[in-house]
Amino acid sequence: MHIPDGILPAPVCVAGYAIAGGITWVALKRIHKTSDSQVEVPKAALMAAAFFVGSSISLPVPPVSVHLVLNGLLGIVLGWYAWPAILIGLLLQAILLGHGGVTTLGVDAVMMGIPAVLAGQLFQLRHYLGKSLPAKISLGLFSFIAGAFGVGLSAMIFFALVIFAIPSTLDQSTEQTFLKALMVGHIPLIFLEGVFAVLLCFFLLRVKPELLER
Amino acid sequence: MKLFGSALRSSLYQLGMMAIAIGGLPMAALAHGAHIQARTATAMEIQANYDSGEPMAEATVQVFAPDDPQTPVYTGLTDADGKFVFVPTAPGDWEVSVRQAGHGDIAVVPVESEGAIASTFTNDAGLTLLQRGMVAGAVTWGCVGTALYFGQRGKNRAHS
Repeated sequence: MHIPDGILPAPVCVAGYAIAGGITWVALKRIHKTSDSQVEVPKAALMAAAFFVGSSISLPVPPVSVHLVLNGLLGIVLGWYAWPAILIGLLLQAILLGHGGVTTLGVDAVMMGIPAVLAGQLFQLRHYLGKSLPAKISLGLFSFIAGAFGVGLSAMIFFALVIFAIPSTLDQSTEQTFLKALMVGHIPLIFLEGVFAVLLCFFLLRVKPELLER
Repeated sequence: MKLFGSALRSSLYQLGMMAIAIGGLPMAALAHGAHIQARTATAMEIQANYDSGEPMAEATVQVFAPDDPQTPVYTGLTDADGKFVFVPTAPGDWEVSVRQAGHGDIAVVPVESEGAIASTFTNDAGLTLLQRGMVAGAVTWGCVGTALYFGQRGKNRAHS
């Protein structure tokens, strides 16, 4: 769901960079505040790799095809670190794979990074809201919600931006037909990424449970 | 009576305007004959694919002439094979934008006189599957290296 160069009007791209710049500042400040800001770097590097590769794994949902985003997962595992990881992943995707674009890097970062950070916060809510549930069910439930929420919110921002940016010179009805097909195509993806997050969380719970506690 | 008079005057005025309008029209528009003329022109064919290799069928195409990058000269849809044909009428850099549901690309094609594509132009073929895999592998390896480096540093610090 990366927005390539030339789709959005210039002011939107500039606004994307401005918002992304602000969030980068906040995220780095939050990371700097932690007792040892380098402890999480190895984890962030590995998750950035997963994010980078994820966009190349496309799932055909006829008539369209969608690809993994994994931003909810990054939020769950990394918290605020998800933002720099996604920013670097997007930059590499734009330059090396031609996925997205350099002018739309800010917009893409906002589109995928903000839902990731929010998904991370949502996942932490299990300590408050999931208390009454058995630990494993609470973990499963909140990891599913966070994983699905990340890509779901990204998809919503994507469609809002694209619908907003359809120039009047385009044939609205054909464009909307394809947008609808693409929207429907994202529903299985949202479920899939939720399930993916649950599987990874259960795996981490078994092999390295301290990774889930931030 | 006064009301009727003014209505009459305004309809007379309208009639007069119509007469001027008809008189002003070019004669060809009044004729009922039509002619089709044919000539040979050099056309340009666009092929739009997604990077997965499948064609962008029924995607919106906009073609901008070199002298006006704002209003498209041609608009239309690609066919089922992702193809679109148009005739560049003037030399210069023609801009072709193909987009579908938020995805798409813009290509600038230099056109010489007679509508031929300039010999300096090369098509951007995108990455092959092998190149894509190598890029993904290299980035993953870089990330693993970063992880190992920072992991080792953390361990060293814990020991000292």
